[in-house]
Amino acid sequence: MNVQRLLAVAYKELREVVRDRISFLLTFLMPPMMMLVFGYGMSQDVEHVPFVIIDYDRTALSRDYAYHYISSRYFAFQGYAENERSAERLMAHGDIRVILIIPERFQERLLAGRSTQIQSLLDGTFTVPVRTIRGYIQAISSEASGEMQAAYVAQHAGIPVEQVKRQAQPLNIAVRYLYNQEMRNTWTVAPLLLMMILIWTTPLLMALSVVREKETGSIYNMYASTVSRAEYLVGKLLPNIGFSSINVVLLYLLATVYYGAPFKGSLPAFALVSLLYVVALSSLGLLISLLVRVQQAALLISIVLAMIIMEQYSGMSAPIQDMTGVNYFIAHLFPAMYYTDAIQIAFLKGGGILELWQDLGALAAYSLVMLLLVHSLFRKRVRA
Amino acid sequence: MSRSLPSVWNHLLIWLRQTAVMTLKEFVQLGKDRALLLFVLYAFTGNILLAGGNASRELNNANMIVHDADHSAASRDLIYRFQQPYFRFVGEVPDAVEGMRRVEEGQAMLFLDIPEHFAQSLHRGTKTTDVQLLVDTSRATRGYLASSYSVSIGSAFSQDWAGQGAASSGAMLPAIETQTRIRYNPALNEAWFSSIGELLVMMTVMCILLPGTALVREKEHGTIEQLLVSPLTPFQIMFSKVLAMIVVTLAGTALALFGIMAPLFAVPIRGSIGLFFLLTALFAFTTAGLGLLIATFARKAAQVGMLVLFIVMPIVVLSGTFTPRDSMPAALNTIMTLSPLRHFIEVAYGILLRGAGMETLWDSVLAMVVLGSLLFGLGMWRFRRQLE
Repeated sequence: MNVQRLLAVAYKELREVVRDRISFLLTFLMPPMMMLVFGYGMSQDVEHVPFVIIDYDRTALSRDYAYHYISSRYFAFQGYAENERSAERLMAHGDIRVILIIPERFQERLLAGRSTQIQSLLDGTFTVPVRTIRGYIQAISSEASGEMQAAYVAQHAGIPVEQVKRQAQPLNIAVRYLYNQEMRNTWTVAPLLLMMILIWTTPLLMALSVVREKETGSIYNMYASTVSRAEYLVGKLLPNIGFSSINVVLLYLLATVYYGAPFKGSLPAFALVSLLYVVALSSLGLLISLLVRVQQAALLISIVLAMIIMEQYSGMSAPIQDMTGVNYFIAHLFPAMYYTDAIQIAFLKGGGILELWQDLGALAAYSLVMLLLVHSLFRKRVRA
Repeated sequence: MSRSLPSVWNHLLIWLRQTAVMTLKEFVQLGKDRALLLFVLYAFTGNILLAGGNASRELNNANMIVHDADHSAASRDLIYRFQQPYFRFVGEVPDAVEGMRRVEEGQAMLFLDIPEHFAQSLHRGTKTTDVQLLVDTSRATRGYLASSYSVSIGSAFSQDWAGQGAASSGAMLPAIETQTRIRYNPALNEAWFSSIGELLVMMTVMCILLPGTALVREKEHGTIEQLLVSPLTPFQIMFSKVLAMIVVTLAGTALALFGIMAPLFAVPIRGSIGLFFLLTALFAFTTAGLGLLIATFARKAAQVGMLVLFIVMPIVVLSGTFTPRDSMPAALNTIMTLSPLRHFIEVAYGILLRGAGMETLWDSVLAMVVLGSLLFGLGMWRFRRQLE
């Protein structure tokens, strides 16, 4: 490999990108802007769940019970509904997720010392939050139930309410959160956006830079020149890796400074992992560029592939360990899951090079294999 | 003088034939790119299959370790309640420090620390007995589930214990029980949700990207000049691109729905299938209008790429397929009403799972019609202006 020729290719590539002012600006503007939009809007919290109450009892006790939900930050009260029919219409339209039904004679039964049953109807369409919502309802209801029991016993036995409450609640599980003490979702999401935004932009720009030459025909210059395949590929890679690395720095600063996500690990080790992630993504982009002939295809494949990787194989929404069969295997074919793991180790768990070496090794091996594959597929002659 | 009827008829026929030829050209062009075609096919088949078969987002066998300083019947009862499928007991540790170390190393997700004299304190009942539970929340969603399930276990334990105490003293306490029913997907089959969601995402991306990039490609190659000197109107040029993509999207959707989702995942089609495809076509038209509008702002494919990313990603991520939109900031929720996908999500899940018809969906449909006309009209206007 001749370093001078390699640098010439890299320089030519750099000039080409810098000259196209709009694209150049977009390269650096888009990732931080995406970070701002997603960091602000993307949340995995289950809060403000819209719900209605159908109160068939309409007594002091039923309103008291309803108030436990209305005052909760997990639920957003949308009003009382007349009957199940009108409430279910709201649910069919996606306006509410929960219907609570308080039966007739709710107060009468409770005051007489008999148990009663509340019905809750949940919209099961979006399966992910449903379980959490079910948990909320159980928790709120048993709290309300406990208070009512305490009041009941206190009244009948003439003991202070506080004492009865302690007896009704003999056990308390005090939950403490490790790493993310306040369960601040932004702290989890913002670092992961590094993984997500890079997977959208890096392969796309890399793939386009080769396919553009194919489409305009300027790649024939390279075919006819003394530049070797390896020199051409590395020369193309270098500027792209440079741009993406600048973006890594920008995104890292946004995550830590702007969103205040704590970074507890070793910065040099994380920088190394990030660099390898960028190299791996760029080589994925190179592979795409070899498979297609026009930019339209390169664009579409890079974007849709990024979307699929993010949703399914990044370990962001569904943990890789829980995956089965083919999906578990496929997830290992993309660089995203290793970087997700590295982000979690470096940001929340404060890991250094010793904890990161597995992801580092995986990304390095991945890049190497991809580059060798690309090199062997790349031909300096026109396909018939 | 108005034209005679046969002349109008002739013009219409010619117009239709021209549009058909242009649409055919789009198909031929799409078919030329083998890799692209294969990828589109994969996006609507294999991809949907894998998305539906993907891991469940339920808490599964979360590893739990315990430090039991009490070793009583009561402490064993509590530990025993953390059961599969949510939790998995993976062992006891001699002290709390060791327990925390194991969670930090990722060997366990939860660490339950039961203090000495646990049973004694429960029996005495003068104060509430505290038990510490440490949860690894580096993954927020699983952390939420784990802590919410643990708290439920704790309150069930409490209730049983208090109940025993009350029963022995002969008193019966009134209780409020909750009965939960889940509508539309009672078994919480994740494949329904995730395969429909994946299909919607693929529709959106294809509909924006295919016509948008097709237009920029003509600009970049200069073939747009050839089209302009032809007898075609700018409307026909744009409309043919949109029409071709609507057909591709409908075909892909039919393939996904009848080839994968209905037979393999038993996704129910509770509403009218005709209405579903009609509204899918409307959605395709709306998003294709967006794609063309983006293309009028760009001269090069790379620029379209970045613009599309900036428009498509928020649409996909923030419209409510990935993350629940209830907990999003209110201002953002308002802005997202401009996203066609936001409205189509209600339509698609509404028809397929909730069996909704036009009488409940009309406002979402209206929003899509308005958005589609606006986007397509704006795109047309910019396109015409650029040609002058």
